[in-house]
Amino acid sequence: MDGSTPFGIPSLIKKDSIHSEVYTDHEIFAEEMKVIFERTWVFVAHASEVPKRGDYLRRSMGVEPVIVVRGRDEIHVVANRCSHRGNLLCMPERGTKRSFACQYHGWVFGLNGDLLDIPFPEGCAGLDRSERGLKTARVETYRGFVFATFNRDAPPLEEHLGEARAALDRACNLSPTGEVEIGRTWVRHLFKANWKMLSENEADGYHVTFVHDSFAKAINREGKYENVLQGEEDGVQAVCRYLGNGHTELDYALTYRHPMEWLGVKEDRYPDYVQQMEDAYGSEDAEAIMRNGPPHTFIFPNLFLAETCLVMIQPVSVGETMNWHTPLYLKDAPDALNRRILRQGEVALGPSAFLTADDAVIAERQWRAVKGSPAWLDLTRGGDRETVRDGGILQSHYTDETSNRGFWQHYRSLFTE
Amino acid sequence: MDQIMPDTTVTEAEYRALSDFVYLECQLADEGRWDEWEDLLADDMHYWVPATLDAPDPDRDVSIINDNRSRLATRLKQLRTGTRLAQAPKSAMRRLISNLVVRREGDGEYTAEANFVIYELQSQSTMTLNQWPGRVIYHLRSKGAGFEMARKRVDLVAVAGGIPSLGFIV
Repeated sequence: MDGSTPFGIPSLIKKDSIHSEVYTDHEIFAEEMKVIFERTWVFVAHASEVPKRGDYLRRSMGVEPVIVVRGRDEIHVVANRCSHRGNLLCMPERGTKRSFACQYHGWVFGLNGDLLDIPFPEGCAGLDRSERGLKTARVETYRGFVFATFNRDAPPLEEHLGEARAALDRACNLSPTGEVEIGRTWVRHLFKANWKMLSENEADGYHVTFVHDSFAKAINREGKYENVLQGEEDGVQAVCRYLGNGHTELDYALTYRHPMEWLGVKEDRYPDYVQQMEDAYGSEDAEAIMRNGPPHTFIFPNLFLAETCLVMIQPVSVGETMNWHTPLYLKDAPDALNRRILRQGEVALGPSAFLTADDAVIAERQWRAVKGSPAWLDLTRGGDRETVRDGGILQSHYTDETSNRGFWQHYRSLFTE
Repeated sequence: MDQIMPDTTVTEAEYRALSDFVYLECQLADEGRWDEWEDLLADDMHYWVPATLDAPDPDRDVSIINDNRSRLATRLKQLRTGTRLAQAPKSAMRRLISNLVVRREGDGEYTAEANFVIYELQSQSTMTLNQWPGRVIYHLRSKGAGFEMARKRVDLVAVAGGIPSLGFIV
C-alpha cells in the first residue's frame, strides 16, 4: 500500500498487471461507489423509457437507489430517499406520477426533487423547505442515452464520452430517423462476481474462442463468428480498441462482407428498411452504415452497447453484479426487423442465453479463485503490437489486452487525481 | 343468458395419462436426458420463459428463453457439446410439481398447468443450492398412444428480482 489513497488502490494497478484485491476487497468496493459511481458519469436510462411528463423509473447509481423521472421537459435524476427520515420514496419499478409522496410521514416532492408539502406543517414552522429537497444529480443526455453524476464539477458528458461518441452515433444511425428506443422489459441476470469482471469482459476478444466453444459447435457459423472462432490468429479481422476515458471496444465491421450480415440475414431481407436508409443517408453512406453494423462498445463504467442490445452493469456488492439488458430497437424501422433484433439479442444475452450464461460462470469462478488465492494478474498480451490511431485510440489484434490495459489505467487515474 | 362453455373436463384415464407425461418430462429435464426429452417435442414446439410476469408479449418483450423448435435444437446441441460451461458439469437437481390442473382444449389438444419448485445444486461455479419456484403451462397434443409437447411456458417467481445463470432445461 503506497498510502496515496486510504486503500492504496493505485499500488494495485501496474502498466500490464493488476492485483486481484481490486475485485475482492470490500473497502475498495466502497471507495469505488464514491469515486466512480458518485463522481463520474453513469448511464441510468434511455430517454425513450420516460416519454411523458411524470414517467419514472427506479434505477441505481452504483448501490445508490435513484429515480429517473421526466419533468416538464427535461429528465431529472434524484436520490430515491426521503429527505426527512430517509425512507425509500418510490417502490414500483416504473410508472407515472405527478409527485412523489413518502409513505412514512407524507412529505411530498415534485418531479425535480423540490419539497412541495409537509403534513401538519405547524410543527415544522422553522424548517426551510428550499433546503429539504431531494438529493439531485446532474443529468446530461447524448442521442437519447441518459447519464447522471452527483459531481457538480464533472466535465461535460460529451468530454467524458470522447471517442466513444462515435459508438453511440453508430448505434443510432442504424435507424432511418437516427434514434434508437427500448421497450418496457429488461432482463436482469445476477453474476456472483465483481462488476469490473463484466466491464472488462465486454471488450475481451481473447476469451471468445474458449468460453464460447460450445456455441461455435452448436450453430451454423456465419459472419463474425466464423471470423473470430476459426482458431487461426492470423485470420481474425475483428479488432480490439481502447478509446480513452476507460471506454473499450471490439469492432466486427471488417468481418462483414455484405450489409445486414450483423443481423444474420441477406442484404435484401428488409427492402423497405434499405429504402428508408438510402432516403435518409444517401445510398453510399447507408450501405456503409448497414455493412458496418452496430457497435460492440463498453462505455465506462457501466454501459455496454452490445450490438443489438443495450446492457447496464449494476454493482450490487463486491461479489455480486446485476447485468441488465434489453433490445435496442431502431426507431421507425420495420417491425419485422425489430423483431429480428429482439430474437438475436435473446441468443446472446441473459441467464439462459447461448453466450452470457457461460460468461457468468467464468466470472464467478475467477472471483472465487482470487478471493481465496490473491495474486497479481497478467495483462501483457499484445502490448508490443498495438498501434496509435487518430484521437489517441489504441488498436490491436482482436485477442489483445489493449482494451483492458486502458480500462485499468483510467480506473487508476480516478484514484490518483 | 348463460354462455355455453365448451366442456374442458378430461376423463380419469386422460388425467392419468397427462399427469404421467408431465412427471416424465420433469424427470428427463432433471436428469439432463436431453435425447429422450427432445423426443417429447412437437415440430412446432415453443419453449418460453418470460422475463416479466406482467402480461408478457413474446414479440415485444425480451424473454429469458423464447425458442422455436430450431433454436431449441441448437440449445440441446450446445448442451451436448460438454463445454456449455453453464451446465458443464450438469447441475444435480430435482423438481417437485404440484397443483396440477388439466383441461381439454379441443380434439386431442390439452393444457396442463402446475406449480413447481426446482432445487438445483449450482456446481459450475458457486456451489450453492438454488431454488427456482414457478408455474409451468404445457400445451400437449395426442400422438399415437401418448402425447407430444407443443408448448412449454415457465413463469419464474424470482424473475423480476434478477436470476443467476439458468443453463438447464427448466
